[in-house]
Amino acid sequence: MKYHLEEQPDMGKRFINIWFHHLMTDWFVRHNPGLQDEPFVLVAPDRGRVIIKAASPAAGVLGIEPGMVVADARAILPSLQVFNEETSRKDKLLNELAEWCIRYTPIVALDTSDGLILDISGCAHLWGGERQYLKEIIAKLKSFGYQVRAAIADTIGACWAIARYGRLTAIIEPGMQAEALLPLPPVALRLDTNVLERMHKLGFYQIRSFVSMPHNTLKRRFGPILLEKLAQALGEVEETIQPIRPVQPYQERLPSLEPIRTAAGIEIALKDLLETLCIRLLQEGKGLRKAIFKGCRVDGKMQQIEIGTNHPTRNVSHLFKLFELKINTIRPGLGLELFLLEAPVVEILSMEQETLWNITKGSANKVVMNLLDRIGVRVGINAIHRYLPDEHHWPERSVRLAASLQEKNPLIWRTDLPRPVCLLPLPERIEVTAPIPDYPPMLFRYKGKVHKVRKADGPERIEQEWWLEQGLHRDYYCVEDDTGARYWLFRLGNYGEDKPEWFVHGFFA
Amino acid sequence: MHYTELQVTTNFSFLRGGSHPEEVVEQAAALGYTAIAITDHNTLAGIVRGHVAAKAKGIRFIPACRLNLLDGPSLLAYPKDRDAYGRLSGLLTEGNMRAEKGQCHLYKADVYKYAAGIQFILLPPDTLNTQFDFDTDFKSALQEYKQMFGKELYIAAIRSYQSDDSKRLFRVSLLSRQFDIPMVATNDIHYHNRGRRELQDILTCIREKCTIYTAGLRLFQNAERYMKPVHEMIRLFRQYPDAITLTQKITEVCTFSLDTLEYIYPEEITSDGRSPQQELVELTWKGAKEHFGDEIPEDIRKTINMELEFMERKNYASYFLTVYDYVRFAREQRILCQGRGSAANSVVCYCLGITSVNPREFKLLFARFMSDARDEPPDIDVDFEHERREEVMQYIYNKYGRDRAGIVATVTQVHWKGAVRDVGKAMGLSADAVDRLSKSRYELTPEWLEGKSGSSEGFDSNDKHLMKVLQLTEEYIGFPRQLGQHTGGFVITRDKLSDLCPILNARMEDRTNIEWNKDDIEALGFLKVDVLALGMLTCIRKAFDLAEEHYNLELTLANVPQGDKAVYEMISNADTIGVFQIESRAQMSMLPRLRPEKFYDLVIEVAIVRPGPIQGDMVHPYLRRRNKEEPIEYPKEELKSILDRTCGVPLFQEQAMEIAIVAAGFTPAEADGLRRSMATFKAKGLVSQYKEKLVGGMVANGYEEEFAKRVFKQLEGFGSYGFPESHAASFALLVYISSWIKCHYPDIFAASLLNSMPMGFYQPAQIVIDAQKHGVEMLPVDINFSDWDNTLEERNGKYYKVRLGFRQVKGLKEGEMRVLVGGRYPSYKHIHTLLDTGISIIALEKLADADAFRSIGLDRRQALWEISSLNDRPVGMFQGQPSESAAEQPVNLPKMSASEHVLQDYSTTSLSLKAHPVGFVRKQLFTGGILSARELQLWPDGTLVRIAGLVLIRQRPGTANGICFITIEDETGTANLVVFKKLFEKYRKEIVRSKLLMVEGKLQREGQVTHVVVKHCYDMSALLTDLGTVKEEDSLLQTISCSSEEDNGIYRGKNKKSSVSKVIQGEIFPAARDFK
Repeated sequence: MKYHLEEQPDMGKRFINIWFHHLMTDWFVRHNPGLQDEPFVLVAPDRGRVIIKAASPAAGVLGIEPGMVVADARAILPSLQVFNEETSRKDKLLNELAEWCIRYTPIVALDTSDGLILDISGCAHLWGGERQYLKEIIAKLKSFGYQVRAAIADTIGACWAIARYGRLTAIIEPGMQAEALLPLPPVALRLDTNVLERMHKLGFYQIRSFVSMPHNTLKRRFGPILLEKLAQALGEVEETIQPIRPVQPYQERLPSLEPIRTAAGIEIALKDLLETLCIRLLQEGKGLRKAIFKGCRVDGKMQQIEIGTNHPTRNVSHLFKLFELKINTIRPGLGLELFLLEAPVVEILSMEQETLWNITKGSANKVVMNLLDRIGVRVGINAIHRYLPDEHHWPERSVRLAASLQEKNPLIWRTDLPRPVCLLPLPERIEVTAPIPDYPPMLFRYKGKVHKVRKADGPERIEQEWWLEQGLHRDYYCVEDDTGARYWLFRLGNYGEDKPEWFVHGFFA
Repeated sequence: MHYTELQVTTNFSFLRGGSHPEEVVEQAAALGYTAIAITDHNTLAGIVRGHVAAKAKGIRFIPACRLNLLDGPSLLAYPKDRDAYGRLSGLLTEGNMRAEKGQCHLYKADVYKYAAGIQFILLPPDTLNTQFDFDTDFKSALQEYKQMFGKELYIAAIRSYQSDDSKRLFRVSLLSRQFDIPMVATNDIHYHNRGRRELQDILTCIREKCTIYTAGLRLFQNAERYMKPVHEMIRLFRQYPDAITLTQKITEVCTFSLDTLEYIYPEEITSDGRSPQQELVELTWKGAKEHFGDEIPEDIRKTINMELEFMERKNYASYFLTVYDYVRFAREQRILCQGRGSAANSVVCYCLGITSVNPREFKLLFARFMSDARDEPPDIDVDFEHERREEVMQYIYNKYGRDRAGIVATVTQVHWKGAVRDVGKAMGLSADAVDRLSKSRYELTPEWLEGKSGSSEGFDSNDKHLMKVLQLTEEYIGFPRQLGQHTGGFVITRDKLSDLCPILNARMEDRTNIEWNKDDIEALGFLKVDVLALGMLTCIRKAFDLAEEHYNLELTLANVPQGDKAVYEMISNADTIGVFQIESRAQMSMLPRLRPEKFYDLVIEVAIVRPGPIQGDMVHPYLRRRNKEEPIEYPKEELKSILDRTCGVPLFQEQAMEIAIVAAGFTPAEADGLRRSMATFKAKGLVSQYKEKLVGGMVANGYEEEFAKRVFKQLEGFGSYGFPESHAASFALLVYISSWIKCHYPDIFAASLLNSMPMGFYQPAQIVIDAQKHGVEMLPVDINFSDWDNTLEERNGKYYKVRLGFRQVKGLKEGEMRVLVGGRYPSYKHIHTLLDTGISIIALEKLADADAFRSIGLDRRQALWEISSLNDRPVGMFQGQPSESAAEQPVNLPKMSASEHVLQDYSTTSLSLKAHPVGFVRKQLFTGGILSARELQLWPDGTLVRIAGLVLIRQRPGTANGICFITIEDETGTANLVVFKKLFEKYRKEIVRSKLLMVEGKLQREGQVTHVVVKHCYDMSALLTDLGTVKEEDSLLQTISCSSEEDNGIYRGKNKKSSVSKVIQGEIFPAARDFK
């Protein structure tokens, strides 16, 4: 949503531009206080080379600047500390700072990648004037550990220019931006590098060198963009910014006229809230994964129950069922006067999914999911495990616990290898009679019982994964005893070289 | 019962095999095998090595190959005889030629075409399907193969401890019985011993571009693909004993040995039905008459006869004729060339025109380089102009055809840096850690291993993971990485080359090369000829052309007047910027001490500043003896004949080897082996063995141990940078010729050198300054006068003026500038006519930046102002009408200062004819008590001085113990700095970063050579950047700063200039050249 300047006859627009000139390194120092005043850089790979994305002030003093190749920087300072930059961190950080700034004005926008623009029209007097206002903001940000430069002016373009290139004063009195801009370099007008390069070659080191030239002359040589930027900075043309707004949380409130103490009352409130919330979710094409139902007691204490689902849903009756099992844990005390329903985790749920509910294909899956939801509510979600194959030859590592029931499995279970249905988490020792060097055993004793081997296949030799663990290899055998039961046995190491021991590691169906 | 291993994948199946062919063969011999085959995947690149190793161990070697087909199961192929081998090689050639480099696309149909005489083993799939059976695809392929190959087809039985081994063997045996395809045992070897499994796993990761942690099932599950003892193989196949016996049958049938490959010279080199020797004799005498006149002097006649007789005895005529053939072609095309190498310095080669070094004048006798005792094949490297060598190569391809001529391969080996990078990455180290590790090799010493010394990057020798990385890296070093093409070695044969060895596409267009490298070729006795490229020859060619055009001189390499006193005087004064070979800092400091007076002195000069003599500490003794500060004496009288031409000090590789023969009792072959073994660092373990033999032998023969050790050290140095006398002599000729041109025609020299750039040590700026110093007037680039190349204009006194060409301006394109020159009738008056000629705005802007519009009265700024308004030039039907800008009011542009102009010149053309940038800051430098380069001469040895200049060259030669040599330049000349290792570490930042470096140090003068031994360094580059910016007028004080009270100084400086102006200007000064 674009925010437009509106003409106000009595009071002109005022803006602050805040420039975080060491945003990333300041953030890094906040989290690693030991790096304060140390030369270090944050880097990221770029077309096969490792490029510096941010350099700490101490590194900057040595001439190490963003854009350099790490190797070159190391040539200057071999002991330079290098850290990887998380690419998404910067945007996130700037957004957080922008949200924090909302305390000073409701209209805050992001400026390129390392600055903020605040529309402060009519705000500064609350802090005792612009000078105090600016001081307060700078001081607060500094106390967080961020070095900033900031400036106030009538236009976005002017405060941007002053914050970054101004040398005289940070507050440009209303209407004075033209004078303030004159001594600044053309780069302060936010121009493309090729325009800047040409200006430099022509000797236009300051805005004053060309500002009074005929517009046509300028336009022909530098394109319409120069005139536009100039006009924006001078306040001849309006500039729009896109304010960030805090995301509305999914929360519904239901105050009750009288304190409610009965389960039936609570259920009505819950249903009511669920319906309101689900309608909103439907409108936004979302489904919830987690919901919290809170009740504020008359005595100020809070009661709450929480449910989670295995897939996004906005099905009121299903959600109600999940909550229903827990409603009896709410202790209403003297009565509940306010009910809240929050959905801290929501995901996109399209219309198509909704219409397929319980009708055609995939419904079996849904049924299983709903069943698991209910079991999970009863016995705890942690009691349900799902295993997936993993890319390892070593049997213990060839399966892994799935992180969630939804986890997509990129691998298929291998069927070309004889692997037992039940794999013991720890192999168990057995005693055997076996011919050497690598033939299957003739009989083995497991848990005190002797098994005569009737049929056997193997060995299959599996070597330790040397990069994870050192040790002897295993020779696996599939054997069948005289009762027809099949076992997966192995010998650790070779006869003659090691002192082999035998183990049982699994059972076939 | 006996067993032969028939399936071996070595590391020539890149990133698959984990052992060298030699290791596999040696392991086989150690385990008592009597024969072994190597079957790399679609290549024969490793078989010569296997063959040589097997020969040394006295076991049979079966050259073979694994054929991976695009449309069928893989086959192992074993040629039974010479013809079948030729077909196998032809098959691979066909597969190579239709694919990109490094790949070989083969189909079943190809194999059928070339199958005669080859035994095949079919490889069944690794796994069975869910029915515990092979897929029908495989079975039908098997039937088809059976039909095509009949009795020549076998099927492989492999037991590598997989879970379905017994089932698979059973299935194979069923198929074997059903289709009557005998089953033969193999062990699918990937490494010679179990220990290599880890490295093989890492290779898999490198191949699959993953780490060991993510490689998963792409790795082998066990380490069973190693070479097993024969009895173990027999035990594993106890249920199928016939599979073992059958290996013997294949071994017996495949009797082909690489020894029977015979190299035959091409026929085209002779004419009129003469034998090669007759042809050689004929051509030699014909050439002799051309060179020496009809009356051939008696001594020359005798030498020629002797040489011809020697060549006949050794049967080398064909070789010389082959070289003669393309040298003749080059001469016809007016491509300069010059031969070098042991055989090139013969009178015969002089007569044939292969070399221009007149052996008579310089007394470099063939006999010194070639003798019956040394059974070396002749070796002639011919250098051609680097810009035109391709023509010679294409001539060879066209004359003999691509099926008969090919470039020798270079097996690129994995070196430490590459190895540690690959292994580190595969072991999951971060990119940054890998990067740091790859640069820390020098720190990872034995002391570090014992924990006695640290590493600046913080690597810890107790870190097991790191130690594993280093261990695997050591193992990986020396593995072949790819088959590159040799710089210019050709093999030319009479019959199809592909009968001898597979041919493959090189990465460069229009090039094909063979799979073997020069050692392989040598081991089999093939002869190769070298067609090399040399930049200086291009430069000399261009100089000769200019001399003909302007001075009416017809010069050739052979007719440049020899023995010119003025030339030697110039060389002795180290006035050699741009001259071939002797222009480096080290060479230039040697020249005044050596003071060359004759051609042979140049030969020594070229050879003396080399790692060999420097490491062997031969340089100073030679200088002392030559300057008569020390008597010339010989360790023993028997060495006098070897050493008398170098004052008793061995300087050349030939001398060191002769000493080994005469003094230490080496056989010529041993001496040669010694030299060779030095070259390959793989053989490092053997060096000490030779050392004992050489030093011990010499001491036993009554030499001083110290002298013996020096000779050995020198040999060590030669190993990697061999520079024998025979090469030095050829190079010395080019040194002389380039010096001669520079001495007499500095105008031509500068123009031709600039036209051959990039080459040599110096930037265009230094060459221009040097030419100006020699009285040549240099003219700036201009749209109305310049050509693409640098050209000579009218004569001004002794020399012609040199007009800089458009090629000096960065970013201009040759074709566009040719259009510009073509449209110049008679000259350009307005900028827009250039645009109408078809020159792009971008090019015009570049020309404006280069200040090339002076002839129409515009400086760069005005020109740019005009050009930038051309965008709205009327087009279509209004073309030719004046543009709107013609009507606009004139605008006063800020005036450009001289210093700004110079900086702009540097940034566009890397040089300025207007002034030297340091001149603009002389005043500031003077106030700082800083001398100019010229003033250094006025001060005595030992004075403490300060000097500043642009950094031209930084050099840290490996032989100099960490000393850094820096050359700086100011408006008066250049100065040489010496920075010792400790200071270098201290001032690393200044030395690496500075454009304008100021140093404080002690003046050191030795003869004509002056250095400054640096004590302190300062980066004064800011002075130069200030030149580009006008003084800002707003010198008002800051009242309330934007970031409250303290706006730290760092940020202020950055904001003001450096960051801003740098973005705009880019790098102004060309980066100094660094030589390691």
